[in-house]
Amino acid sequence: MKARNDPDLIERLKRSDRKAFEQLVHEYQDRVYNLCRYMLKDAEEAQDAAQDVFIKAYRKLVALEPDASFLYAWLYRIAVNTCLDYNKRSYPKPLEDETFVENVASPDPSPEHLYQSKETGGLIHAALAKLPQKLRAAIVLKEIEALSYEEIAETLDTSIGTVKSRISRAREELRRYLRKDF
Amino acid sequence: MEGNKMKCSRIRKMISPYVDEELSTDDRRAFTAHIEECAACRKELEDVRSVHELFVSAENYTAPLGFATRVMANLEQNEQPAYSRLWRLVTGKPLFLRTAEVAFAVVVMLIGVISGNLLVSDRTPVRQPTIQESFSLDLFQATPPNSIGGVYVKLMGATDEK
Repeated sequence: MKARNDPDLIERLKRSDRKAFEQLVHEYQDRVYNLCRYMLKDAEEAQDAAQDVFIKAYRKLVALEPDASFLYAWLYRIAVNTCLDYNKRSYPKPLEDETFVENVASPDPSPEHLYQSKETGGLIHAALAKLPQKLRAAIVLKEIEALSYEEIAETLDTSIGTVKSRISRAREELRRYLRKDF
Repeated sequence: MEGNKMKCSRIRKMISPYVDEELSTDDRRAFTAHIEECAACRKELEDVRSVHELFVSAENYTAPLGFATRVMANLEQNEQPAYSRLWRLVTGKPLFLRTAEVAFAVVVMLIGVISGNLLVSDRTPVRQPTIQESFSLDLFQATPPNSIGGVYVKLMGATDEK
C-alpha cells in the first residue's frame, strides 16, 4: 500500500478511467472506512463520509499530479478533510457502536462503566472523541493507520515538527482522560 | 542536578517519537542512556507507552458489504459531462450555476433596456404633466382626513383649503 503506485494506473486515473478508479476504491476502501470510523462518531456516519471521500476523489482525478506516486497520502488527505467537515457540522452525538452496546452510551461514560468494560474499543472511541480535531487526526493516522511521521506530514500538508507536537499533545490529553478512570 | 533537570526536559520531548521509533540513531542512544539512569523519565515513558498500547487492540474495521458498488453507482448520479467538469476546473464554479448567473444578468439587462426604450418612446401610458401645471397647487391633492397627515392637520387646526 505504501509502495509507489503504478504510473500507468495514475495515467488512467487522470483520464477518469472508471475501471482504474474502481480498482482504487477496492484497494483503499477498508483503509478509508477505518480512518473515518475512528475520526467520526459512529458506523453510519463513517459510511456516509467514506462514500463522500471516494466521490470527491473521483472529481479531483482530473487534477491529479503526474508525480502523485503516493496515492494513499492524496486519498487520506481527502478523507481527513472530509471527516473534519463532518465533525464541524454535526452536533456532539452519543457514541454508538453495534458491537459495544451498553458500554459506550455517551461521550462521557461514567468511570464505573469504563472500569467494568472489557472492551478497550469503546474506551478508544470515547477517548478519541475528547480530542480536538487536529490532534485526533494526527494520533489516528499514527496509531490506527500506522503512518510514519513523514507520511502523516504529507497527508496533513504540514511539517514533521507539527506532526510530532500534535501526536505528543494527543497522548498527553489521552493520558489525562484515562487517568480519571483508573 | 540542574544539568540533569535540563536534560530531563529535553528527554521528555523525545519520549513520544521514541515510542514511535522516529528518533535518529544519535538521539535514540542519548535517550536510552538517560532512561537507564532516570526513574522519573522512565515513569513518563511507561505512561506514554501505555497510551500507545491502548491502540494495539484497536479493531481494524472493514468497509461494509457493497461499499464499492455504491460508490460507483453514486458516480453515475453525480457525474457531469466532461465540458462541465472542465469548466469547473477552470473557473472553480459549477457550470450550471454559472449559466444561471449569466441568465439572470441577461434578464436584468433586458428589463433595463426595454423599460429604457419605453421611457424614451411615446408609448408610455403615464400622462406627463405640462410644466405650467406642475407649478400649480392644483396638482397637490388634499390630505386624506384619516391619514396621519390628516390627523395632524386637524390637530393643528390648519386647513388645506385654498
